[in-house]
Amino acid sequence: MIRVDDLSKTFRVHKKAPGLRGSIRALFKREYVDKDAVKGVSFEVGEGEIVGLVGANGAGKTTIVKMLAGIIYPSAGDAEVLGFRPWERHNELRRQIALIMGQKAQLWWDLPAADCFLLLKEIYRIPDDRYRETLGYLSEVLAVTNELNVQVRRLSLGERMKMELIAALLHSPRVVYLDEPTIGLDLTAQRAIRDFILAYREEHKPAMILTSHYMEDIQRLCKRILIIRDGEFVFDGLLEEVVQRFAPSKLVTAHLSKTGSPAPSTIDVERYGEVVECDPNQVCVRVPRDGVAEVAAHLLQHWPVIDLAIQEDDVGTIIERIMRNQEDAGDA
Amino acid sequence: MNARLFLHIASVEARKRMSYRIDFWINTLFGFLAEFGVHFFLALALFAESGSTQIRGFAQPDLVVYFVTVLLIQKIVMGPDFGGHVSEDIYEGGLTRYLLFPSSYTPFKYAQHMGALVPLILQAVLFGVLAIFVLEPTQALRVTPWTIAGAIVCVLVANLLYFMMRLPLQLIAFWQDNVWSLSVMLRFASRLLGGAMLPLIFFPAWSQDALRILPFRALYDLPTQTFLGQLTLTEWLTGLATALVWCAAFTLIARAVWKRGDRKYTGVGI
Repeated sequence: MIRVDDLSKTFRVHKKAPGLRGSIRALFKREYVDKDAVKGVSFEVGEGEIVGLVGANGAGKTTIVKMLAGIIYPSAGDAEVLGFRPWERHNELRRQIALIMGQKAQLWWDLPAADCFLLLKEIYRIPDDRYRETLGYLSEVLAVTNELNVQVRRLSLGERMKMELIAALLHSPRVVYLDEPTIGLDLTAQRAIRDFILAYREEHKPAMILTSHYMEDIQRLCKRILIIRDGEFVFDGLLEEVVQRFAPSKLVTAHLSKTGSPAPSTIDVERYGEVVECDPNQVCVRVPRDGVAEVAAHLLQHWPVIDLAIQEDDVGTIIERIMRNQEDAGDA
Repeated sequence: MNARLFLHIASVEARKRMSYRIDFWINTLFGFLAEFGVHFFLALALFAESGSTQIRGFAQPDLVVYFVTVLLIQKIVMGPDFGGHVSEDIYEGGLTRYLLFPSSYTPFKYAQHMGALVPLILQAVLFGVLAIFVLEPTQALRVTPWTIAGAIVCVLVANLLYFMMRLPLQLIAFWQDNVWSLSVMLRFASRLLGGAMLPLIFFPAWSQDALRILPFRALYDLPTQTFLGQLTLTEWLTGLATALVWCAAFTLIARAVWKRGDRKYTGVGI
């Protein structure tokens, strides 16, 4: 449903020296710099798939989404969404896509949500019965039926986001872009939105691209993720593969008995990996994945172990490390 | 865009505009009165200074009627400061919403513009009815149902013309963050050269031919003179045709500017 081929976007950004002098100089001569926001990315998204687009601020996530929604033009490369080039803005395509931006309200603030929806009904030419049915379903699932006639500006952030979701999904799009849909929401509202997205995916099978800074969003909603750093993909695969590929080690923690025989020297375990912590109560060793069984067996045999824990790095932490390009996030 | 969607957008905008009651009445009372006061005293001053009972064919009561009429027409032609919304859309990223819709941006904005006129039309009608009882024009002015109908047609065309004149300037926001000064310049030039500040007959003879060709006359002078029964059918048709030619020209200019500027749009942020 979505095919992206070597897509790039370069922005020309005005650069101004700080201070009054810089401002005066800018009146006569402007300096520009080219910023490569997206550098030759390629991927595909199929029907019913939710792909997480993950990256730090300014990595290029929103730029990709904007290009695929047809809002901005690419500098190079090509893309097809439902068989159309998005930036050519065919109405047939625009009737089948939706973009939800958590940071930017799409509804009209001065109107009640119900009025906004009626306007969208006309814009997307939704038949009366289908409109009633879809609005009824969406407002009930999102629990905002009683707020439909309240001016959008008077709604809470969570309620407003739910209304944005309804507005975006009223025309039953086949492709949905979700750009940070849970930003700024409390935990309950975040959970409600996530549950809704999953339920909606089950029922309608749209292709979805989700960008979010909340790892919880990514972990709950996406099986596949694309990690973008400085405009380039550094990972495209299943979420579980991230751990295999970018977390080459595990943390083995042994809690020791205080009354047992004295713990042997750390030199004893250093040959298995890096000793993170060692005191009379516990010893923590970071070891390669394939060395876990061996070090665990050694500890149990030679140390007064009362409890043993083997921890995988949290996937969110791993992704954050990859996003920030930390050295230990290299390929396994 | 189909007529049903156009009307729906206009209706939504009208409701939105009238949801602020205090704003409506402040605009009605003070907006109109302040501008009328300026024009009224200008008329008095002109006659006091010249010492004659007629200036360029205008008796003092007729000049006051002209100013009231042109003031009411000007409100409807210019509309609320709506053209600015286009540059704001570009600058603040509101354009994104419209680019997602399976509908063209310009007709959408024009429909909103027309909806935003509803409170202004109500205000104009309110003051127009009051003016009928207060003003005493001479026999030189001949307001008839035909002149009223002709003026309505002129106002509709003038409204479209002013919207299309502003659009290319507003679209410059694709390159320049702030186009407010351009809008102010257009506003001033159109009022001066369109007959909103003074009847065009007051301008020097050498400028009359140029004023007839420029688009500004069609904005205020043409509808006002039509309403007051001062034009022949030929003059009316010629004025209207000139306005429509300018509408087409500005549409082409706006389209060309959009085509280039659209590629610069970032939707705010990278």
